[in-house]
Amino acid sequence: MAPPPIVQQKSSSPSQPSGYVFFLPSLSVLLLNRKPLRFLIPSYCLSRKSEVSDLKLQLRQLAGSRAPGADDSKRDLFKRVISYMTVGIDVSAAFSEMVMCSATSDIVLKKMCYLYVGNYARCHPDLALLTINFLQKDCRDVDPMIRGLALRSLCSLRVPNLVEYLVSPLSSGLEDGSPYVRMVAVLGVLKLYHISATTCFDSDFPASLKNLMLTDSDAQVVANCLFVLQEIWNLEANKSEEANRERETLLSKQTIYYLLNRIKEFNEWAQCLILELISKYIPSDSNDIFDIMNLLEDRLQHANGAVVLATIKVFLHLTMSMTDVHQQVYERLKAPLLTLVGSGSSEQSYAVLSHLHLLVMRAPMLFSSDYKHFYCQFSDPSYIKKLKLEMLTAIANESNTYEIVTELCEYAGNVDVPIARESIRAVGKIALQQYDVNAIVDRLLQFLEMEKDYVTAETLVLVKDLLRKYPQWSHDCIAVVGNISSKNVQEPKAKAALIWMLGEYSKDMPDAPYILENLIENWDDENAAEVLVFNY
Amino acid sequence: MISQFFVLSQRGDNIVFRDCKFSFFCSFIFDSRFTYNILAKQKQGLDLYIALPFGGYGVDCGAEFAFQSYSILSTVVVLYISTELIDRGEVPKGSAEIFFRKVKFWKEDEEEEAPPVFVGLSNVDGVNYIHVKVAGLFFVATTRVNVSPSLVLELLQRIARVIKDYLGILNEDSLRKNFVLVYELLDEVIDFGYPQTTSTEILKSYVFNEPIVVDAARLPTLGPASMFMQGAKRMPGTAVTKSVVATEPGGRKREEIFVDIIEKISVTFSSSGYILTSEIDGTIQMKSYLTGNPEIRLALNEDLGIGKGSASLYDYRSSAGGAVILDDCNFHESVRLDSFDVDRTLALIPPDGEFAVMNYRMTQEFTPPFRVNALIEEAGQLKAEVIIKVRADFATSVTANTITVQMPVPTYTSRIESYKNDFHRRVKGAVSVGDIVKFSSLDATEDLSCTVGVSFELEAGAVGQTTDFKEGAKRLEWCLKKACLSHIFHQIMIVSFKLLINTLHLNLKTLQIVGGAEHTLRTKLTFSQESHGNIAREAGPVNLNFTIPMYNASKLQVRYLQIAKKSPSYNPYRWVRYVTQSNSYVARL
Repeated sequence: MAPPPIVQQKSSSPSQPSGYVFFLPSLSVLLLNRKPLRFLIPSYCLSRKSEVSDLKLQLRQLAGSRAPGADDSKRDLFKRVISYMTVGIDVSAAFSEMVMCSATSDIVLKKMCYLYVGNYARCHPDLALLTINFLQKDCRDVDPMIRGLALRSLCSLRVPNLVEYLVSPLSSGLEDGSPYVRMVAVLGVLKLYHISATTCFDSDFPASLKNLMLTDSDAQVVANCLFVLQEIWNLEANKSEEANRERETLLSKQTIYYLLNRIKEFNEWAQCLILELISKYIPSDSNDIFDIMNLLEDRLQHANGAVVLATIKVFLHLTMSMTDVHQQVYERLKAPLLTLVGSGSSEQSYAVLSHLHLLVMRAPMLFSSDYKHFYCQFSDPSYIKKLKLEMLTAIANESNTYEIVTELCEYAGNVDVPIARESIRAVGKIALQQYDVNAIVDRLLQFLEMEKDYVTAETLVLVKDLLRKYPQWSHDCIAVVGNISSKNVQEPKAKAALIWMLGEYSKDMPDAPYILENLIENWDDENAAEVLVFNY
Repeated sequence: MISQFFVLSQRGDNIVFRDCKFSFFCSFIFDSRFTYNILAKQKQGLDLYIALPFGGYGVDCGAEFAFQSYSILSTVVVLYISTELIDRGEVPKGSAEIFFRKVKFWKEDEEEEAPPVFVGLSNVDGVNYIHVKVAGLFFVATTRVNVSPSLVLELLQRIARVIKDYLGILNEDSLRKNFVLVYELLDEVIDFGYPQTTSTEILKSYVFNEPIVVDAARLPTLGPASMFMQGAKRMPGTAVTKSVVATEPGGRKREEIFVDIIEKISVTFSSSGYILTSEIDGTIQMKSYLTGNPEIRLALNEDLGIGKGSASLYDYRSSAGGAVILDDCNFHESVRLDSFDVDRTLALIPPDGEFAVMNYRMTQEFTPPFRVNALIEEAGQLKAEVIIKVRADFATSVTANTITVQMPVPTYTSRIESYKNDFHRRVKGAVSVGDIVKFSSLDATEDLSCTVGVSFELEAGAVGQTTDFKEGAKRLEWCLKKACLSHIFHQIMIVSFKLLINTLHLNLKTLQIVGGAEHTLRTKLTFSQESHGNIAREAGPVNLNFTIPMYNASKLQVRYLQIAKKSPSYNPYRWVRYVTQSNSYVARL
């Protein structure tokens, strides 16, 4: 078990009665450990109330204090209040004390107070009203940090009947001299929209945002405007014709080029979302397409995989109608994608591989010489291995089938059974694609000699499929299949495959009746539909 | 864009939970669209919301409570949950719970590990869960809109890194100790679900809490957590565990910059020792503690080539003159490449915190640091012998450490022994300990433990090096992942246990291999049943895990690291370090 958190170290604070030490650890256990919960509940319930009222008392004592060090003690108390809050203990009783204490210039205290207020305001609208005053005052503070934070908290209160207090701080926030405040105000508009859409439209905020988006000097403000407008118009699009038009203008050539020209000013996340928007843009002609692609070419070298993938999306969408350029784009994308596969965590590689998977499925030929990149690595998690196996199957052709199948056969003995099964199936799929069938059939028959149940089962199903497509191989296959002991075949699908082969090629297999006899002995225990169907 | 963000421990405990659309903190949050019976009670002037899964225990709590659903996403806080319900273990399932259950019991499509992106309750609630595992913790984001998964994955990874920049060390303990700071960071990183900034540099001006530093030395070796790091292709963070905002005890910050060239290599040897595939994935990672952000210049090999023309075929013809040819690379956004084409120098103003200056990939032929030969042959009835030979092909001044050799053995193996040879008895203290083979059994009731004499048999030539061996180094561990992960993935592990019981896990953790040395391990296997056919097909492949400090396989070098001088006396510490790690180092039988 992990050591008890925050609370433990609180006990060393001299300002607190030592009595806390005894039950605080029990709270931390509540956090960390599910089992002992039951035994701790009674004491926790008893102590909870007295603790909160004690906190209230201490907060009240400190509220008016201007003594040196008062802020530090307040910080400790606030931290404790918030730690209770995060655990789910109701500390809303201390609301008014918290608000009283927040009349301070200490920004750390203010921030914690905002957190607290934001959490309880919605459930306690009457209490939220108490905070409006000091939040509004903070919105006019000299420090832009405080203005921004107060505005953010104000918008996060989410109390419908307090909406009227939001409008004026928001409009002055949008015109604030500090980009930080503007950034917060822009998202504040979205928050307001979700609380009360009509107030948002009545105050004409979307129009101001549109204006801000096209003029503001700060990239993050511009990006936020774009996000907000996108969300609002998307939600409104069904309701009004005007909203629909507004949504279209976001995709106008003017807006798109404005964003494109500034793309390097935005941070990587904003770049991704802007690229996403650009991918929806319909270019007017081929010059348009090449202009955009030239502007974005260097984004393919970005270390952030999300930016690269978003750029790729734009490229693919733009060239959809130009077949030859589209192929060139594929060529161009290969190297950056393969680099991304190896450069991040396995989760990030998964996202990149999923994209590669799509591309491979669309244009297997292009990747046929890169097959080695899709070999499974020892440390790959199974979700990655699976993707790679599918890609290997897709890109197999005359030139690489031998290598790919050799590699896949190595996986068949893998300790990871699902992957082993998957690779055997992959071998079968490649065989059905008609490349190098001869060698593959030999390999499959070798699998049968491994005498691992799941290998045998998967292989039998495949051999059956192959025989249906290439009856000319029956002679080789039947010799091996005839030797299989039916006891080793347990899986219904494999049994069904075996029975089918026994029936179909019985004249070549002198032992067939005896094998069938064994199967019939266990007939009564059989209940899988696949097997039963052969009875008729 | 993002609805919720949370961090879970491996046991499923909520460490951090942030509802991005609403500022709520709570340990139990659930989705209203999911069929729940919502029961409300008025008590002492406070609303008590109690939630039960539909058709759950019929607690008679009065009328059903219909609550207002706000927008696309609606959540309700369970402020207080009756003790009775907790007693029965019937705590409402929040999205964190749903996520955890999904991950824990992932069995769809025979896969055993949940992919990083999945849908919650098969389209019932339309919630997408996107997660990454970092330092044994789950960083999860949920979303209802069709957002690019790679964007969210990158963002989560970045959030973890920003938190690490601030806390110095990222683990459960440091998160719990610094949760107020973490929430403060999250507030600035994500606002109403939209990512704002993840630059540690910019965040510094918004974030005011000081980190409570967790002592690195005091940390347990992260038993279960370390498994995640081993399994995933984790890029090791630099060894620096110092917060970007913390000041040294002396009050002054130490001016220093770390540049790490980290290479993960993947090599596959065929059974005849021929190299089938080889690849290097490298990163130049930087962590700057320089004040005032001076510009720095990083010079790489002058003859560095990028791209192999249009042909991306693997060819093992060594390029002329031994120049380093990278297949491809990408750069951090702060890097300016003005003079890169001329003299291979990168110019950048390093932002605070840890970041990758450049990622590169190389398939050009290189000398693998280890030659691995593995052989398994039958030695009479019910017996086989495994011989694994590892030769270090690098300079004697370099020492590889934390080497682990893993090899799956046939399922019906009942006994493994490596035995001493007379020769070694004479080498003082060299081979004496490690006579334990640990078996963990399928269920705790049945303990298969069995003690066998174990040792490494060393070739005569390697005698000189045997003095480097430490006590306890020569242990042959029958190590099961189950034992390490039992906490959370209990259910899953029982399944995969059957697979893993067959892995011969040679743990040479404390063993160091000096350049030029060659080690051979001989092990006898005893089987409970006769092997059929080809035994080599049922065992292996051998996998090697290692770290080699001050060595890089690609020969990519940092020629110099130049820092723009603010004053003549300004001379910050510069650390350039090379590390090579195995990613997938496999020898087939």
